[in-house]
Order: sequence, then C-alpha cells, then structure tokens
Amino acid sequence: MATPRSFDRRWIFLAMGVVVVGLYAAGIRAPLPNSRYVESFHKTIEDLPAGSIVLLSADFDPASAAELEPMYKAVIHHLFQRNLRIVNVATWPAAPPFTRDAFSRIAPQYHKQYGVDWVELGFLVGDDVALGSIGQSLRSAYPTDTLNHSAYDSFPLLRAVGDSCQGIALLVTISAGFPGVLEWIPQLGSRYGVPIITGTTAVQTPPLFAYYPNQIKGFLGAATGATQYLQMVAENTPELQPTRDENQKRMLVQSWAHMLIIGLIVVGNVIYFTGRRKAQA
Amino acid sequence: MLALQAAPRWFELDVAATPDIIGGWLICLLTLAVYSFLYKDNPFYKLAEHVFVGVATAWYTMEFYDSGVLKAVFVYLSDAFQTLHEPGKHVTEVGGYGMPTALAIAVRFGAVALSVMLLVRLFNRQSWAPRWPLALMIGIYAALKLTAETQARLVSQVKETMVPVVPEGATWMGVVGNVVFLVGLVCVLGHFVFTFKRGKALAGMSRAGIVILMLTFGGMFGFTVLGRIALLIERVSELASYSEPAYSLSSATAGAAHGWLDTALTPPFLIATLIVLVLVLAKLTGRAQPAPPPA
Repeated sequence: MATPRSFDRRWIFLAMGVVVVGLYAAGIRAPLPNSRYVESFHKTIEDLPAGSIVLLSADFDPASAAELEPMYKAVIHHLFQRNLRIVNVATWPAAPPFTRDAFSRIAPQYHKQYGVDWVELGFLVGDDVALGSIGQSLRSAYPTDTLNHSAYDSFPLLRAVGDSCQGIALLVTISAGFPGVLEWIPQLGSRYGVPIITGTTAVQTPPLFAYYPNQIKGFLGAATGATQYLQMVAENTPELQPTRDENQKRMLVQSWAHMLIIGLIVVGNVIYFTGRRKAQA
Repeated sequence: MLALQAAPRWFELDVAATPDIIGGWLICLLTLAVYSFLYKDNPFYKLAEHVFVGVATAWYTMEFYDSGVLKAVFVYLSDAFQTLHEPGKHVTEVGGYGMPTALAIAVRFGAVALSVMLLVRLFNRQSWAPRWPLALMIGIYAALKLTAETQARLVSQVKETMVPVVPEGATWMGVVGNVVFLVGLVCVLGHFVFTFKRGKALAGMSRAGIVILMLTFGGMFGFTVLGRIALLIERVSELASYSEPAYSLSSATAGAAHGWLDTALTPPFLIATLIVLVLVLAKLTGRAQPAPPPA
C-alpha cells in the first residue's frame, strides 16, 4: 500500500488538472450569494454624487492579474456608469499595461473624455513614501500625466484636486500586496480621512476583516468577491455579463478543486495516523 | 476568457484590438512550459523562466527609470529652468508647498547628489558617503511610518476591540459573535504573556489562544489555496480562449474551419502535444536524466 512518503505527488497535480479542466469544459455556472463586505463596497460607490472624483490605484502585476483584473475592470465600468471621474495611479511597476488596456477598452463605451472624465497618471516609484507624497500633493507627485506627458494643470479634472487630497471623494485600491491597501490606510485613510474601499488577492484578504467597516468601507476578497461584485454590477451593464458568466463558471470549478484538496487532506491524515498507530503497535 | 470581437491578425500592437495570433502562440507556449515543471525540470520550463526574468527585468528597469530618473530629474529640471526664464513667475511647488524656483532646483540637485553618494557603495563599501543618504532615508521612512501607522494600526485597531458585548438593538447572533471575539482576544493575548509563571488559569487561556490562532492560520491557508486555484483556473480559461478556431493554424492559412483538425491545430493542443512528445522522447532515450554531481 502506498504511504504518504512513497506516494508520487504528481498524481495529485494530475487529479487537480483533470478536475479543473474537466469542470471548466463542462461550463456550469455557480451564482453566489452576496456578502455584506461586497454589498458595502458596491453601496459606497452608489452613494457618491455624480461628478465626484475617485482615486483609483492599480496595485497589482501579471502574477495577480487573474484575481484582480476582472474586478479592476468592473470597478471602472461601475464608476463610469455612475458618472464619476477617475484619477488612475499605479504603485506597482507592472500595472500600467493593465490600466492602459482597461481604459482604452472601457472609456469609449461610455463616451468618456480623457482629461475631463478620467486621467492616467501612471506608476510612481517609492512605495510608502510615494503614497505619502500622493496624499500630500498629487500635483507634486505627478507633474505630468503618463499618456501625453502634458502638464498637471492642463487637465480640468486634475485642477479640481487640491493638496492634502482635497476633492478626492473616495480611494479604490485594487491591491495584490506591498504597497497596497494596508499602506494606503495609514497614508490616506488615517492622515487625510479619505474613505477607502478595496479589492484584494486571496492571500491579502484575511487581515482586512479587522479594518472593516471603519477604516475600510467595503472590500472584494479574491475571486469570490470579484464574482459577487460582478453579479451586482452586471445587472445594469450588458458589457460585463460575459465576464460575470465566466467568473460564475470559474467559481464552480473553484469549489470542486477545494473539495478535492479537503479530500486529499483527510486521506493524507488517515494514512498518516493509521501508519503511526501500526508503528507503535 | 476572451470574447472575440473581430478576427485576430497575425501581429497587432493595438491593446484594445483582438489579441493577435503570434501573441496567442507565445502565451500558450509559455503557460504550458511553466506547467511542464510539475512533471519535472526540463528545457521548456527553463526557456519560460529565462524569458520571464529577462522581460521582467527590462520592464521594471524602464518603469523605474521613467518614474525615478526621467520625470523626477530631467523633466522636472527642464520645467523648472523654463519657469525661471518666464517673467514674474518664479514659484515651484515642492511637496504641496510653494518655493522659489531657484531654491527648488537647488533642492532637487541636492537629492541627485545624495543619490550619487548612495552609489559610491558600489565602488567602496567602507566609504562614509552612502551613510548620509541612508541615514536620511531611514529617518524619513521611520517618521512617515511611525505617525501614520500608530494611528491606523495601533490606536484605531485598539479602538476596534472596545465594542459593547450587548449593543443596542443587537441580535443574539451578534451578541454571541461579540462574546467569541472578546474571549478569543483575551485568550490570544494571554498566550503571549510571559511575565508571570503559568498557573492553571493562564495555561488554560494560553491553550484556548493557540486553538484560536490555529483556526486563524487555517482560514489564511484556505484563502491562499483559493488564490492559487484561481490562478490555475484563469490559465485554463486563457488556454481555452486560444483553442478557438480563429487561432488554428488551418484557419490562419486556409481561412476555413475543419472540425477536430482545426481544434487540434490550435496553439494549446499543438504545443501541449509537442511538449509531451519531447518529454516522452527524452525519457525513452535517457536524456532527461540529471547529470551526476561532480566528484
């Protein structure tokens, strides 16, 4: 009989591959009930008056794009749908390609004008120090935008943002790690009282429960949170319905992959304790 | 998964367009090459690894140069000198405060000088020069973190723990939750009390604290698994996107669909077959055996 030590773990990889590929190909969707954290996230955006300025921070890279890009795009759809204005920044060097891709696809759908309805400021080096300087003075942190390299004051949208975050109604950070939401909370939330909502990777989600609801108004935890949010936003956004369906499809695969892991943990423990009892006997 | 709005072209630079065919083949090759490591280390994986390191280094260098050198030094100084030549406008904003432009230029040159001093360490590790910018950086970072973090992570978090056990209008579930929270908090804190000798009461609290900590770590592990599986599913979804007939070699060359052959000639299937064939061949011929360690 195989023991945990002699068992070739590649069989586990194969089993996981079969479960994931097989269920994905089956294409069954699994709608999720919405959590209060996601509902708060959604409500915070809904409650903003039209024309408010939202600072949107892309704090992720290709390694975390699988979890975060769908929610990042959904947030842009939601903000534009609500006629909110977006100042987009990035604190991760590999984020700008995702932001450019997202805005170049989504902004034209809502007939939004660059510099008036949204502006792309790009990556700022410096981690915590960069976040502090964005809070202190966006104008000093970004003398020019990143698409046209035009001066800060040439954009009507940026002229409405003053020092110490004046004019910014909300910070939305789509965060994969450091620097991310846990750095934005002290630098913008505590210092300047800017309300914060966030979407995070699964690994970064557990600590966030301690910050809800006073320091973070709502959050999307990993792929599950993204799917719940997409379900809410896609109701009024036909463009997002394929993404919502795709995410619901992925959730079913996710659930069964988790079942497989739970089963493997149980089997592994049974084999381990049985073997130990036999050795002691 | 991609929604094909238009037929893909062989090569496309527009990010808003349908992903191009060459890009699709590259994505599938690199994805499957990375996953081939699950079988064993092999040349496909090495290829993907080296490409990733090279591309990431190039991209990061470019972004850091753009943000930290080009905009922060060259563009900034060029604008500042231009302002200096304009009549009657000699104020430049630094960190939210207006400053005479000449002084702002001097401050920026000071920052450049400190950066250069930092680089001296590359040539002489014992030199005094890098210590000044390092001391400044540590001081600024400590000040920045200390003030904001104390407020956000200490004061606010302590405040969060001081909740009434039976708040007004609370449901019984809410009350139970608050009791669990209170007991859990006290027990976990009790686990980290090392000042007193552990009697029965403190040892019991500590034991309960360990259980709560283990449950927390279990929850964190669960979230980690969730994240890793999500990455796998996304890759499978991406591969499925490129198994559409539009990316098939037969469609690209003949412009017609041929059923199963068309699917078999799409990037994921063709590349997966190629990788499996090479690995099987290497196994059969014994070329995949690792070189013996040097004597």
